[in-house]
Amino acid sequence: MKLAASLALVAVAFAQEVDRTKPPDTPAAPSFRMPPLSEHTLANGLRVVTVRDSRLPLVTLRLGFQAGAKFDPADQIGLSETVAALLKEGTSRRSARQIAEQMAEIGGSIEAVSGPDSITVNASALSEHAAALLDLIADIAQNPAFPEEELKLRKQNRVQELLAQRADASTLAEEKFHAVLFGPHPYARMLPTAATLERITREALAQFHRRFLVPNNAVLLLVGDLPPEAKLYAWIQSYFGKWAKGNPPPSIPGKFPAPKRSLILVDRPGSVQADIRIGKVSVDRKNPDYFPLVVANSILGGGASSRLFSSFREQKGYAYDVHSTQSARRVGGLFEVVTQVRNEVLPQAIEDLLAEMRKISSQPVAKQELSNVKNYLAGAFVIRLETQSGLADQLAMVKLMDLPGDYLETYVTRVRSVEPDGVLKVAKKYIHPDDAAIVVVGDAAKIAPALERLGKLTIEKTP
Amino acid sequence: MSISRIAIPLIAAAIAAPAAQLQIPIEKYRLSNGMRVILSRDSAAPVVTVYVIYDVGARVEQKGRTGFAHLFEHMMFQGSKNAPKGMHFQLIEANGGWLNGSTHADYTDYFEVMPSSKLALALWLEADRMRGLNITKENLENQKEAVKEERRLRMDNQPYVTAIVDRWPALAFRNWSNAHSLMGSYEDLNAATVDDVAQFFKTYYAPNNAVLVIAGDFEPATAKKLIATYFGDIPPQPQPKPPDLTEPPVQAPRSETVTDRLAKVPALIAGFHGPVRRSHDYYALVLLDVLLTGGDSSRISQNLIKGKQSIVQVEANLGWPFGGPSDYKQPGVYALMALHKPSFKGAEIAAQIQEEIAKVQRDGVEPRELERVKTQLRSSRIHEMQSSYRRAALLGQYEIFDGDPSWINTELDRYQQITAKDIQAVAERYLRPEVRITMEIVPPSQESQK
Repeated sequence: MKLAASLALVAVAFAQEVDRTKPPDTPAAPSFRMPPLSEHTLANGLRVVTVRDSRLPLVTLRLGFQAGAKFDPADQIGLSETVAALLKEGTSRRSARQIAEQMAEIGGSIEAVSGPDSITVNASALSEHAAALLDLIADIAQNPAFPEEELKLRKQNRVQELLAQRADASTLAEEKFHAVLFGPHPYARMLPTAATLERITREALAQFHRRFLVPNNAVLLLVGDLPPEAKLYAWIQSYFGKWAKGNPPPSIPGKFPAPKRSLILVDRPGSVQADIRIGKVSVDRKNPDYFPLVVANSILGGGASSRLFSSFREQKGYAYDVHSTQSARRVGGLFEVVTQVRNEVLPQAIEDLLAEMRKISSQPVAKQELSNVKNYLAGAFVIRLETQSGLADQLAMVKLMDLPGDYLETYVTRVRSVEPDGVLKVAKKYIHPDDAAIVVVGDAAKIAPALERLGKLTIEKTP
Repeated sequence: MSISRIAIPLIAAAIAAPAAQLQIPIEKYRLSNGMRVILSRDSAAPVVTVYVIYDVGARVEQKGRTGFAHLFEHMMFQGSKNAPKGMHFQLIEANGGWLNGSTHADYTDYFEVMPSSKLALALWLEADRMRGLNITKENLENQKEAVKEERRLRMDNQPYVTAIVDRWPALAFRNWSNAHSLMGSYEDLNAATVDDVAQFFKTYYAPNNAVLVIAGDFEPATAKKLIATYFGDIPPQPQPKPPDLTEPPVQAPRSETVTDRLAKVPALIAGFHGPVRRSHDYYALVLLDVLLTGGDSSRISQNLIKGKQSIVQVEANLGWPFGGPSDYKQPGVYALMALHKPSFKGAEIAAQIQEEIAKVQRDGVEPRELERVKTQLRSSRIHEMQSSYRRAALLGQYEIFDGDPSWINTELDRYQQITAKDIQAVAERYLRPEVRITMEIVPPSQESQK
């Protein structure tokens, strides 16, 4: 009874104290602790990381390889993504149909994706079927058959998909922007073409597989409602232990063209908006400039309270979407400002974007704004780890990029240690627009004259 | 969230697989002003979601005001009595959260996902804007521009989307409330006035027309006190009259061909009016959809993407294109949209899809295949439960549509009861060519070949 009485008192006191005209004071966000990881390396070099999460009867798997589109031969762009796509289309033990049906029977999903620096098999299943999941994934990773008929179908469908993708203005903008920034480096090649796909043979797929998809070039991550450690590792040993080592090639160095102002219009007749990209080559996660740049990016265009959003959308009504991104590669990275505006406001919109980019590169950020952005980044980081796939993706990234073991653990601290002069310094280097590339996708007949006023304009056709 | 595992006998008597049952905690109560509150605590991650769902969507719009529900949703971020314009975004983000709002045919929702210590802030902001908005001409004109840019970005400058959002409802439905464009026309957006905004707010954004959900890491006693303090004395309004959504049954096949200047690959949409929400047929049709289009093992994937090699990609849903089964409300359609190779005509694709449906009508479903689709469905529902945002959204939607958030835990049992005969029966009852609604979206270059 005593307890109830004191609670009632608290409630009354609380209601009286509250001033509803002001936002409530709240305690600082709780500090983040990584769940414990268990790490082992098999004799064949396969690194294995497991994390227990028994909230739901699920298990999430990532099998990542250092591979990816940067290793595609220039005349066979799309090789890595084709390898990834065909992994589940038949092995020496199972037909494509059997793989599809068995995955469905264990409540599973499977998708292998090829990025610039990696191939990752993403999969999940109901945890009661964890052993069956490991069996299937081990099979597709070790024994893909790359059937001729499946390759033929993949090429046909991919050609149609590419047509559909390139019907989208933002795909065209990204594709051109990558090409301009990364120049001769393979990061410049975002998507294959019908011609480069056509040259891909079964033998090329098998060879790529033999070179890159080997255990000493891989990491296996399991997050979820897992069986006891001894049992789990017995399964992993039996499914992945006999996988033969290989000789994966070293990574590709990051040699990129020096930044310089270019102004390119990709003509898309009929466009009712101009899709804009402005930016430069930036840095990877190991670079000391990385965390200051993450913070600078967030100040400029990271969320709905960023400078660009407040000005462009909320004050001027120029755009629905306006943001900036810093995306790291294994070596180097890409910083870009992205927006889509109606044709009539294009010249003013570009001027204003450039002015915001100049401002962050020349004036130190205010203390309050900086601290707000740090909170935003810290919160977003923790929210990302709420799901199994969110945690698995972060762990896979850390392992595949060879980042320090405490990268996730110290992420928030490193964000918080960024100072105003650090922001200013990296903004001068990676955001200042005088040597930034500008790519616009839109209807040349309507917007070319306006763009020509900004400098020497190159007009290109859509691929 | 705690999980118990119980053994449910499956149809093949020899197998008894353990079936996970969901036990999402739920506490529901009502404030004296009529606002419903649902609390669902799970402290596994230091994250909390505040989710407010209002029982109003684009189907309440009046002629001459298409797109208004969505424009209004934008106005909810333009400032309220104590939180001037910009403060909402700023406070949430500066405290480590993210937020959004979205407008649907039958509901509108707003949410904040926050570090758990920041619950009070999100509640304060939601209550402040439920109490009163800063409706100014300047803010309205600004948001008209943002919405128009949204329309240009997401529809007018994209292949397929304009046909799907503006034309498909008009083909699928005859009642104007269901058939009009949810995004609205530029003309109607321009015509919206400050008075319209104020009236809409008063009518639909009252506490008695809303459900507040908190899911994730929070202390229930503290949350209840905060809710009482911030929301308790917001005055209720007369309960708004729901729009008449009565839809005449489809009497004959309908079809339309749209030339899309931005499309490069032809698309075919085949749709059928769907069953009443939560009826036995509803569950059977959702499982039929998994059987037809759910992943690599599905019939369409195996027989048409492979097999006949005619379709390149397919998507389908009960509730398409505006939602899925969990926020489906009749009148709605079950529809499939396929991108297909230009070497096939739209009519051939429609016939191939109809033939896959006919196989179910004729031959039914094998026990093993039925078990597989049930497992797929169960797994995908359990996957959804991982994030506090998805749990909160589902709880709010079950409350708004069904008056009972505990469907989140019990619904899988309904699916478990569906038999092969039930699936065959819904294929026969709903997916008939005589009532099919078909839309072809063709690139200009292929138009002449038709």
